[in-house]
Amino acid sequence: MIRFILHRTASTIGVLFALSVLVFLIFFAIPGVDPARQLAGRNPTPATLAAVRRTFGLDQPLPTQYWTLMNHLLIHRDLQSYTNRGVKVIPELITATPVTLSLVLGAAVLWVVMSLLIGVISAVQRNSIWDRGLMIFSLVAVAVPVFWFGQVANLLTQSRWHDSPLFQWVPPLGYTPLTSDPVLWFRHLIIPWIVLASLYIGLYARILRSALIEASNQDFIRTARSKGISERRVIVRHLVRTSMGTFVSLFALDFGVLVGGGALLAEVVFDLPGVGRLTYQSLNGLDLPVIMATVLYGGAFIVIMNAAVDVLYARLDPRVRKA
Amino acid sequence: MIWSSAGSSIDTAVDYDPNWFVLRMTSDGLMAWKQVGGTAGNDLVPDLATTIPTPTDGGKTYTFTLRKGIKYSTGAPVKASDFTYTLTREYKIPGPGVGMYSSIVGADACIAKPASCDLSKGVVADDSAGTVTFHLTQPDADFLQKLALPFAYVVPAGTPNTDTGTTPLPATGPYMIESYSPNNSMVLTRNPSFKQWSADAQPQGYPDSIVMKIGVADEDAVTQVENGQADWVYDPPPADRLDELATKYADQIHINTTPITYFMAMNTRAAPFNNPDVRRALNFATDRNAVIQLFGGPRLAQPSCQILPPNFPGHQDYCPYTANPGAKWTAPDMAKAQQLVDSSGTKGQKVVVVGTTDSTSKSIDLYYVSLLKQLGYDASLKTLNGSVEYSYVQDSRNKAQISYSYWAPDYTAPSNYLSVSVGCGGFHPASTASPNLSEFCDPKIQAMTATAEATQQTDPQAAEALWAKVDKAVTDAAPQVSLFVANRLDFVSARVGNYQYSPAVTANFLIDQAWVK
Amino acid sequence: MTAGIETTSGPALPVVTTGDAAPGQAPWRLALARFRRNRAALVALALFAFIVFACVLAPQYATHIAHTDPFQSNLTGTTIVHGKRVPVISPNASGLGSSPIGPTWSGRYFLGADTQGRDVAARLLYAGRTSLTVGIGATLITAVVATVVALVAGYFGGRLDWIISRLLDLLWAFPVYLLAISLSTVLLLQGLRIGPLNVDPTSLWLPTLIIAVIYVPYLARPIRGDALSLRKREFVESAVGQGAPTWRIILGELLPNVMPTVIVFMPLMIVTDILTESSLSYLSIGVQAPNASWGTMITDGQAQLYTRPWVSIGPGLILVATIILLTVVADGVRDAVDPRGLLPRRRRERRRPGSRR
Repeated sequence: MIRFILHRTASTIGVLFALSVLVFLIFFAIPGVDPARQLAGRNPTPATLAAVRRTFGLDQPLPTQYWTLMNHLLIHRDLQSYTNRGVKVIPELITATPVTLSLVLGAAVLWVVMSLLIGVISAVQRNSIWDRGLMIFSLVAVAVPVFWFGQVANLLTQSRWHDSPLFQWVPPLGYTPLTSDPVLWFRHLIIPWIVLASLYIGLYARILRSALIEASNQDFIRTARSKGISERRVIVRHLVRTSMGTFVSLFALDFGVLVGGGALLAEVVFDLPGVGRLTYQSLNGLDLPVIMATVLYGGAFIVIMNAAVDVLYARLDPRVRKA
Repeated sequence: MIWSSAGSSIDTAVDYDPNWFVLRMTSDGLMAWKQVGGTAGNDLVPDLATTIPTPTDGGKTYTFTLRKGIKYSTGAPVKASDFTYTLTREYKIPGPGVGMYSSIVGADACIAKPASCDLSKGVVADDSAGTVTFHLTQPDADFLQKLALPFAYVVPAGTPNTDTGTTPLPATGPYMIESYSPNNSMVLTRNPSFKQWSADAQPQGYPDSIVMKIGVADEDAVTQVENGQADWVYDPPPADRLDELATKYADQIHINTTPITYFMAMNTRAAPFNNPDVRRALNFATDRNAVIQLFGGPRLAQPSCQILPPNFPGHQDYCPYTANPGAKWTAPDMAKAQQLVDSSGTKGQKVVVVGTTDSTSKSIDLYYVSLLKQLGYDASLKTLNGSVEYSYVQDSRNKAQISYSYWAPDYTAPSNYLSVSVGCGGFHPASTASPNLSEFCDPKIQAMTATAEATQQTDPQAAEALWAKVDKAVTDAAPQVSLFVANRLDFVSARVGNYQYSPAVTANFLIDQAWVK
Repeated sequence: MTAGIETTSGPALPVVTTGDAAPGQAPWRLALARFRRNRAALVALALFAFIVFACVLAPQYATHIAHTDPFQSNLTGTTIVHGKRVPVISPNASGLGSSPIGPTWSGRYFLGADTQGRDVAARLLYAGRTSLTVGIGATLITAVVATVVALVAGYFGGRLDWIISRLLDLLWAFPVYLLAISLSTVLLLQGLRIGPLNVDPTSLWLPTLIIAVIYVPYLARPIRGDALSLRKREFVESAVGQGAPTWRIILGELLPNVMPTVIVFMPLMIVTDILTESSLSYLSIGVQAPNASWGTMITDGQAQLYTRPWVSIGPGLILVATIILLTVVADGVRDAVDPRGLLPRRRRERRRPGSRR
């Protein structure tokens, strides 16, 4: 087991290293991007540009530049943004993290509870009107692009129906930290939560339903039923538990992606200053240091969650360990 | 207030334009533009100096006497030697303002070798007498205006000679920057060391603190001001909301003229626009009214065919590119345009319009894609993010053919347009810092510009006529399709009172002079 | 967020091996019969076919019904509505802004005009062509590239397999949305030039290729696993023993066995690709104007969201409807090809025992 974990850690580090090189190359190998120009601010003179290029080592060979960048990012931890001079990358990422966590955790609670409810009800009431209705709902939830949903939600709650009693409580777009005003925090996030969660509610409900139905056809469940255990107990005790494996591993992966900045579109639509919006802004301005930091941060979450799921499976299934 | 544009440095030596309206409230130089609404806002007044000096030595020496008792936000007093330090720092960093002060003795050496910059002969300070004396190599008619720009805002000696980025510097104004996070917000609070010394140059402000949210999408920003959740939007409101603002919130909008000129820059060194006839053809074909409609309607812009904006020294109404050539633009002349394109033999060539993702500029770019197709070109559009696009189109290596842009002068002088945005001085090959997007540099016109500049020093009145000639010559060569001169629309919340607009480049809406009920 | 950009769990990846020998016609015929019995899927397929049909006929609609070129700005033109000549775009009385003509519910400007004075209905159809082309095109490219790469890696094994697998791992670890956005942002500047391949930044090929590339690992990884285990099966070993040419073994023995996986993968991949394209277009780095896709129409309409919400909501609704229909079809295809649910749905593919040396 320990060897397995060590091996996974080594390959994780290898992947992250390769990732950083790839990002670096994408942004440096392509002509048309001039970091010196970004560093020099608006309307610099050519002399200024040359001076900036020298001070920041942008006239050095690429491997040296890569080393300097990573050295500042990981060892000195004082890497600065190219477009916003003086802004340190790591503190930026640290301030953005709670926003993303608030958004994703809230949405996750919502999507787990709702998808469990919908999935179980549909599976139990298979082929009933309820099942049909809930599955159509899930299908729609999966199909609606989040940016469009968010945009329509903003239109209704911020403008069209803003003055109606229904949405008067909605604050302007943005974010308030939980620690400074918990109520306002909640009011800011409730609509983003619903919008972000909708896709996953639909997705997970559909998966859970088919997993439950599949499981209910298996022998040991039939045995449990034939022993006269009540249907509800069969579902709660056996079915949900046996179907949880897929559910949990899927959840771990999606959660990892979202916390790592994957909630980008939702954060952009709702103006939440989280990791995703930071990533988006840095990509927009081709701000390499911030892109590098956010990509590695997001990549780390994905790789770690992948490894965690693999370890989880390794525990459940010894054969995987040997592989 | 809300400010949706991306952030920039707040170092006075480095920032060029984006944060000037903030720096005006936090810092001071020897000179300032009068902080009042209306055209008086273009008048120069002494700020940290007691009076405006009369130049001596044939316009080559200026001696300023400092006001006494002015302190930085740190509590330290402002000294005469700080001014020498401030300007030396501009060259040591080096900042974008280095070209402006090149007439100071020693400045040329500083441009060549920033690290060893020494301006002690050009800016002579006497701390005990409280005087600062500037020695110039040649007279500079715009020198006092240049001293009112933020590059010359004083910083204490000992400030690091590097761009301090988002960390505020000690300064003298009524407000100080408490926090600045370029992607999220900026907060200004009162400077405890500030005591009003001149109501004209730097008046005390009304609000106790000014909070700016950064990064809010323009549609959402307008909604927040409508809902009273914010008080002002820095960026112009999106075109589709204008009617709503004009009808429902008529009392809350303010429209003021600016000298900002919008144009399509055509690369005079790339086909098909290396042919002057093609450039003229596009000028004839452009329906400036239609473009203004896309920009927001006739209340927001006046059509223009020439380089210099109205009310600028040297401006004489001139429009050769209209149905009935004369002083003013009336209508496009498609037949003439088509005939010029046909005879140029460039029909069918590929033209890529480079633009930004912003909805107004995108709509104007799309109009040009259409128009170019109509004239017979194989036109397409390439949209880039605003921050990337400007450096992309400046770099001659990218050979950008045509792009929508604007030019905002730093102060009221024709050279600001004719020597830079369409002059040889603004073109630097293979550099991302080359504001002359057309890459237009004509030796004959350059000679006329040089004469006008020289005359400006001695006889500003006579120079105006010369500038008008240069303006006409450039317009005839058509390095750009001048589109319109824009007005600025400010949308404020219902609780904002005492709205004042000053035309100075560092001012516009005087935020600190407004109050909220 | 969207299934496309947001989740790494990607589309469903049931891997089905249909038996020890290369399958004949029978399994496919069975699958077809099963699909035919699925009424929901048939209805969805018919409706989807109708949308495709309508989008294919976009140029005919534009010339014969709308009488306009939906890619040319028409800022000062006029049109005839119910016998009266009216301007397409009229300046507002307030002197600020202008209003494009609203829905006329007749041939010309059926759904009104956009801010450029272009016919919205005609653009909607053209946009559908673009969205579907990008979605289907990217899916085909992904399927071909992934299958070839995976079969080669699986058949030859060894160092080649190691290199291919590590490359796939790397793509896999790069957050999908970030990879798509990074590539689009950078390639939009200069276009793509690799050897003879020269993709113009404004061309439709750019988003299509980017979307195709980022999803290659989702299909390549499971197929590679299958190919690896198939390679050790008797029927393949014996073919190798008999000295059959490599390409014939790959095409004749391996390919038919991984086809069910590819077939089940494709409709879901189209869904994912269309959504990814719309998300990229929302960030203005997808399809470039004046070309239109449903995604760019939503985004362009966003500038008028508060005054004329339908300009943005309309394309969104059509997009959602198309996605729903395709998902139902995809479910039907899966149930037909893989009726017993041999492999868990939408679970992230993990390394199966023996798949790695």
